[in-house]
Amino acid sequence: MAFLVLSHVSKAFGQTQAVKDFNLEVEKGEFISFLGPSGCGKTTTLRMIAGFEQPTEGQILLEGEDITFRPPHQRNVGMVFQSYALFPNMTVAQNIAFGLEVRKMDRAKIKERVHEVLSLIQLEDYGGRYPYQLSGGQQQRVALARALAIRPRLLLLDEPLSALDAKIRLELRQEIRRIQQALGITTIYVTHDQEEALSLSDRIVVMNQGQIEQIGTPFEIYNYPQSEFVASFVGQLNLLPVEVLDLSKNICRVAGQEIRFTPTTNSILKSGKVRLAIRPEEIRLGMVEGENLLRGEIASVIFLGSIIRLRVKLGEGILISVDQFNERHFQPPRPGEVVTLHFPIHACWLL
Amino acid sequence: MKRNLRLGLLWSWFWMILGWLYFLLPLLATFLFSLRAKKDTLSFLAYERVFKDPNFWKTFAFSLEIGLITILAGLVLIVPTAYWIRLRLPRLRMITEFVSMLPFVVPAIVLVFGLIRVFSGAPFYLTNTYMGTNALLVAAYIVLALPYLYRAIDTGLAAIDVRALTEAAQSLGAGWPVILLRIILPNLRVAMISAAFLTLATVMGEFTIASFLVGIKAFGPYMSLVGQNKTYESSSLAIISFVLTWAFMGFIQLFSRGRAEAAPPGAH
Ligand SMILES: Nc1ncnc2c1ncn2[C@@H]1O[C@H](COP(=O)(O)OP(=O)(O)OP(=O)(O)O)[C@@H](O)[C@H]1O
Ligand SMILES: [Mg+2]
Repeated sequence: MAFLVLSHVSKAFGQTQAVKDFNLEVEKGEFISFLGPSGCGKTTTLRMIAGFEQPTEGQILLEGEDITFRPPHQRNVGMVFQSYALFPNMTVAQNIAFGLEVRKMDRAKIKERVHEVLSLIQLEDYGGRYPYQLSGGQQQRVALARALAIRPRLLLLDEPLSALDAKIRLELRQEIRRIQQALGITTIYVTHDQEEALSLSDRIVVMNQGQIEQIGTPFEIYNYPQSEFVASFVGQLNLLPVEVLDLSKNICRVAGQEIRFTPTTNSILKSGKVRLAIRPEEIRLGMVEGENLLRGEIASVIFLGSIIRLRVKLGEGILISVDQFNERHFQPPRPGEVVTLHFPIHACWLL
Repeated sequence: MKRNLRLGLLWSWFWMILGWLYFLLPLLATFLFSLRAKKDTLSFLAYERVFKDPNFWKTFAFSLEIGLITILAGLVLIVPTAYWIRLRLPRLRMITEFVSMLPFVVPAIVLVFGLIRVFSGAPFYLTNTYMGTNALLVAAYIVLALPYLYRAIDTGLAAIDVRALTEAAQSLGAGWPVILLRIILPNLRVAMISAAFLTLATVMGEFTIASFLVGIKAFGPYMSLVGQNKTYESSSLAIISFVLTWAFMGFIQLFSRGRAEAAPPGAH
């Protein structure tokens, strides 16, 4: 049996169905992210695992034990909050020691453990400081240390980096992953930032409106999205209206131009509205024999630093995004220019 | 532009000084009057007499004791209630806030008559015993101090993220007693101290309820009696009680300052 099992977990707040039939098995040592838009039920699910909310239906098992209705202070599950939630009346060391004192660990051992986790987060000299004497990033590291000090069975993080600025966020993100791997601690990380989820996780749970849309490795989620929601929520995606010409030969028409696509299951096609999906980074400027070709007029050019995003008009109301890597000598086309685009057949699929 | 500014400054000084005069002149007059107990010279005779009166000390001690019990009982009642409401029943806050203001609306005389009517007969008979009346007095004072107690504590709770701190403590393994004693109370220190001093100031000077329930035993009625019978002593008593009140206020400031240096509000 898996280390943590959520089976058929649902949660309703009055009329609002925050989480619906949530099923997940997490292996020991895994790093799982819950990814989804605001209000999709990520926090609610995490809080049920922590014990702060009780499911209206379903069961939560940790190491085979049913913990569905066990109070949070008896779960031995560490939690890190977006707002840090450090105790303002205690120093860093006292904050970290708190959970150990509650467990009646002896003084010498507490001291040793506090020192140990402080060096883990590289804040050895900060034990005597109060939370308000630390930067946001340092406070969140202390909160992480405090949660880890009790050697929890699970580490839960609810958007721990979203109150921090971009640079610190990136730094701390790597730090969290490093510590998680060093300790081998089973971790669930809630975020609405796809980059965080993709870079940190062993597996990602993509959620929408209280339901799981897809569970998979970052690679699977990005390259083989199983629903339109996942495809467009994770990464950028072009969705172009198509006319299917010959299903057996996988040929369709986009804005009057013929395109060949990867074979698709027929069920999608029966659903009516069919579109061609392709990621902007798969498309290149220029002509290559044997690949799909599209002609269109440049509508806009957006410079994003390492990437230049072109919007190309293929027909009336049909725009496609194209991402080009920036190079120093690259002369981007100008709006109004007519260009040819190419992309491999395996890069596009029907959705 | 510059002239306007200077004129504005002048006016604000003018009003401020006027305000201070309005406030200080009667006080000064009272003080000067209290020094005239001895004919033709200024002296502290009236103060000496007040301090030599055993009843002054007896009633003072009685009211102080009642005040301290009120503070303790009030805090034990209000702190967990206000905490729980912030944590779990935020929708009730409107109601509790309204209820906490009621003592401002209901006159003390109505309150004390109500209390006597209800608790002097069967099945309570509280007013027949020494302990009973004192308990009733404390209960009435808790009601009277409710606006200060509740407001101060609730404001203190608003300054910390009650829910996140509670949940953080819970996830670290703490049960309710530990959370209250080690997380909530320490962070409410300033709020509790100001609530305590405000309550004490209220209780020490209270007249209506005390005179109906315990009469001359309490400090308020004692002061009023002296005021009716002894001219100079009453002025000196007024000054003493005024100094006391200001001392309490000063203490609040002092304690809040000490705390503010340790952790400035708004620093996260
Ligand atoms: N205590 C509550 N009472 C009522 N409704 C709630 C409560 N908590 C959450 N909800 C509702 O449940 C749904 C899911 O909320 P949740 O906080 O889990 O979303 P989330 O995915 O964490 O969103 P965000 O990214 O904005 O944090 C929302 O519609 C929210 O309004
Ligand atoms: Mg959330």
